[in-house]
Amino acid sequence: MALASPGEFLLARVDDVARWAQSSSVWPLTMGLACCAIEMMTATAPEYDIARFGSEVFRASPRQADLMIVSGRVAQKMAPIIKRLYDQMADPKWVISMGACASSGGVFDNYAVVQGVDTIIPVDVYIPGCPPTPDGLLYAVNLIQQQIRRGGRGGVLARA
Amino acid sequence: MPSSQTPPAGSTAVDPTAVRPPIDDARIIRTSPEQLRAELTALKDDGFAMLLDVAGVDYPERTPRFDVVYHLLRGLGTAQPERVRVLCGVDGAEPAVPSVSDLWPSANWAEREVFDLFGVHFAGHPDLRRIQLPDDWVGHPLRKDYPLRGPALERTPRPSFALKSNVAAGTPAFGKTAAALQRQIVAARNHAPDGAESKDGSK
Repeated sequence: MALASPGEFLLARVDDVARWAQSSSVWPLTMGLACCAIEMMTATAPEYDIARFGSEVFRASPRQADLMIVSGRVAQKMAPIIKRLYDQMADPKWVISMGACASSGGVFDNYAVVQGVDTIIPVDVYIPGCPPTPDGLLYAVNLIQQQIRRGGRGGVLARA
Repeated sequence: MPSSQTPPAGSTAVDPTAVRPPIDDARIIRTSPEQLRAELTALKDDGFAMLLDVAGVDYPERTPRFDVVYHLLRGLGTAQPERVRVLCGVDGAEPAVPSVSDLWPSANWAEREVFDLFGVHFAGHPDLRRIQLPDDWVGHPLRKDYPLRGPALERTPRPSFALKSNVAAGTPAFGKTAAALQRQIVAARNHAPDGAESKDGSK
């Protein structure tokens, strides 16, 4: 930014600037579990364009991801893998439970499916729906951003 | 050609395969574990080069309790492709039939699946272990006497912070109210140990 004269300057708290920057590039983990993942992919496509909120970079490595979108039912066999991926993500990290199955098991009230991913990892935002619309996912990302701007750390319950 | 056999005389309950008329393009052959290898070998020599699937069925009221079902196909790409379905009744605490994975390699994983979900053992299988469920799973879920929600008999205990009763209804999302809500939830979590109220059965 070109300043009009050498005497002009801007003041801001470092925290606010850091949170603004952090909340503007919440990078999700490339992880699709079921049909909700199709809606998640749609959210990245031009019509919904999650890039408007800085979350278009789906990282293939959990080391580089800030946000885990649990997009579908979590099978009992998948549960330890989800847990491991979450543990591999660097702090601070956030989790969106996308859809009925991830949030509560949904229609799969049976031996094979975990009854809510919040039984194995902490969830920050739950999205209802079967599946939720891409708008729902965008709203959840917005809520995560608001949490970050308020100083939320992720990994603890910060219900929005 | 092998011919259809009637179910063994011990049958008491209704056997769906016995009353259902045969499908036009599928011959149904009923056999026993002792006859199975000879039957299937003859069919393979007769041109049934493709084993489509191996399935299992559980008739808890019937003797024998389980059916292992083989679907065979020949003449694929010709004017008259032909299917045959071989049903092998098997019973016992540890039901076992001979493996046919040496005749058709495609039987390998299919037999593992039947073993995984029904607990039917395949004698002579090169690598008989679970294929779909976790390796440490107990039980065989597609048996009719397996509880639908699993052997734990209860739902997975929900963490207390996920219980609806811990969240005030209609709370605005931002500012001091949210902070107060957060404190309230944390306090509730500290007072009620996880899983103490796991009766959140309503969806």
